[in-house]
Amino acid sequence: MAAAESPSTALRRRDLCSRGIRLAGKMRADVVDLLDAYVEQQGLDASASVAAVEGVPLAAVERWDEQTGTQRLLENLAAYRAFRALLAQMLEEQREQLGEADVGLGRALAAVLLQVSAFAYHLEELLRLESRGIPGEEEEEDGPPPPPRLSLFEQKLRGLGVLRELAQWAVRSVRDLRQLTKPSPATGAAPGLAESP
Amino acid sequence: LGDPQNLKCVTHNLHKMLCTWDVSSRGRHGQTDFCYSTNDLTPQVCFKSKERRVEIPIPESSITVTIKSSGTAFATKEFVIHQKDISFFPVTPHILSLTPDFPTSTLNLKWSDNGSVFPYGLDALWQIQILRKESMEVVTQVTYYSKLTHEDTILSWNWTSDIPLECTSHYVKIRCYVNATQFVGPKDWSDWSPAEVIPGKDTEPGESGVFPLDPVVAVGSDLTFCCVHEEDQHITNMSYGSKSYTMMQLSRRSHAIRVLNASVSNSSGTNVVCILENGLEGSVVFVGYAPDIPQNLSCETSNLLTIKCTWKPGRPSGLYGERRTKYSLFERTSGKNISCEVSEASRDHVCGFPVLPDQKTYDFILGVSNPIGQAQSSLLVDITQRVRPNAPEKLTVTGNNSTSIQLRWFINGSFAEIRLLCQIEISSSYSERKLHNVSMPGRKSSTYTAQLNALHPDTEYQLRVRCSAASHFWRWSDWSKGVEQTTSEA
Repeated sequence: MAAAESPSTALRRRDLCSRGIRLAGKMRADVVDLLDAYVEQQGLDASASVAAVEGVPLAAVERWDEQTGTQRLLENLAAYRAFRALLAQMLEEQREQLGEADVGLGRALAAVLLQVSAFAYHLEELLRLESRGIPGEEEEEDGPPPPPRLSLFEQKLRGLGVLRELAQWAVRSVRDLRQLTKPSPATGAAPGLAESP
Repeated sequence: LGDPQNLKCVTHNLHKMLCTWDVSSRGRHGQTDFCYSTNDLTPQVCFKSKERRVEIPIPESSITVTIKSSGTAFATKEFVIHQKDISFFPVTPHILSLTPDFPTSTLNLKWSDNGSVFPYGLDALWQIQILRKESMEVVTQVTYYSKLTHEDTILSWNWTSDIPLECTSHYVKIRCYVNATQFVGPKDWSDWSPAEVIPGKDTEPGESGVFPLDPVVAVGSDLTFCCVHEEDQHITNMSYGSKSYTMMQLSRRSHAIRVLNASVSNSSGTNVVCILENGLEGSVVFVGYAPDIPQNLSCETSNLLTIKCTWKPGRPSGLYGERRTKYSLFERTSGKNISCEVSEASRDHVCGFPVLPDQKTYDFILGVSNPIGQAQSSLLVDITQRVRPNAPEKLTVTGNNSTSIQLRWFINGSFAEIRLLCQIEISSSYSERKLHNVSMPGRKSSTYTAQLNALHPDTEYQLRVRCSAASHFWRWSDWSKGVEQTTSEA
């Protein structure tokens, strides 16, 4: 049984979690708006089925209930880092392909990228709170290997897949963070990350 | 029995002829003596031949041939061959190369005309056949003309397909006819060459996709897109933009749609989508305009350090990002070439070019290009006759009395090689707006002064200044900011 955390740490974590929940909620709303604009601007069919896109973390998870708090945070952090790289690449491709043709979409994309970065940092804060090392920061410098050069249509579909999955992740993150704030059934106190199912 | 028969002579080069004959069944395996003579005076020339074919020079008029077959029974037969009995058709042409250019769907065919074997100056006709699909349907047959020059010349011919070369295999065959007007015997086309093939993507295992991939085409084009898929895959729909199209089958693994008179696409391109049973393939086509010829190209300088050229771009191309219309300014005298940073969204198109040491006249070519086309405008200008200084700055009153005011101002620019003409606007409640012109030698980023006389005492004056080149006036600068000054009492 890990030692119960100090009241100040618990308070700090609850504060970070609730702020994280708000951030994820806002991010989801913005991603949904961006998705609509993206589908229209790219001339895509909103109902188009997009195969799993390489490098995009899937929000769906088996046995979600059994995950520990640390697992939740680590998976969230890995996902949002991946999305940060994917959105940055989308922004680069957007500039390359459209130049200044559609500044609105570029700005919306940049805004979501900012939120994703902020949320990733937020998750790192939560992990630091539990004096957990932030995983993979060294690899972060080089970032994921550049994906294969896709055709323009494949780029469009990948963008669709990224935004759809990001919207799903934002929902999952809210649920994950809420899960972290729930009191532990045994002690009634908010659990340390390791314990919380 | 064993009689030589059916003697035929054919020429492929109008010099030599190949004679062949048969021997009835019993004498078929023996050797044959082939003798010929062009007339009674010249001795016979003889050959022994097992293959029953002999190559000999073409006679001026006729020859007498004696063929003796030495099979089980000796048999001799005599033939008279006249030039009119000799038929002529060129050797089968040899395709040197067949090169596809996929982006333009163009095939380049190269072949040798084998001209060295023919006399100089004969006309040659080449029939080129393009075939398509697994069933090798003839798509087109073209006749190409050339003149033989007694040398082997490599001929080249291009053909642009109406469907992308990736969509299905394309085959090319060629044959030749030489118009040997002097030759009296029957003339005919050569045999067709073996077909050269450019395999389509529908022949490559595991290959799939929509082609052409991400093309850039002109508005009004008629386009063909194909969806290459695995043989067991069924296509449910092919669409261009938001509209579905009827499909044509090219092969078991390739279906196509035809889009007529394509209209301009939006900035992210028009999607061509092929919906398969368990997948989606697509391409993005960018439909735009070639650049217009830039209008009203004009160049001037505000400081004799940098030349600023402006122009009217004409109709927007509808292309963006890496496909946008790009501009470059080339100056012929110096050979200097500048690529211009012109943003698509901005209304004014401007490009800067450095004033070069010891060069007054500039022979500009503004080049414009995008993936669909290019255009250019040119302008020859003496830049010292196109000076429009920046607005004078820091206009200051440096002194005054009851009837005069001294002014000073600053102009940024390197005008040491020209004289400046400046105009001072004088307004007061007393009198109408007056303009006072003053000329002075230009200098490098310097201040200039002037004195206004014959003013009224105790009067408030509003003053501002603008300048231009004194000789070869081009345009006034903008006005400087105004200053106010009251003359002292008398």
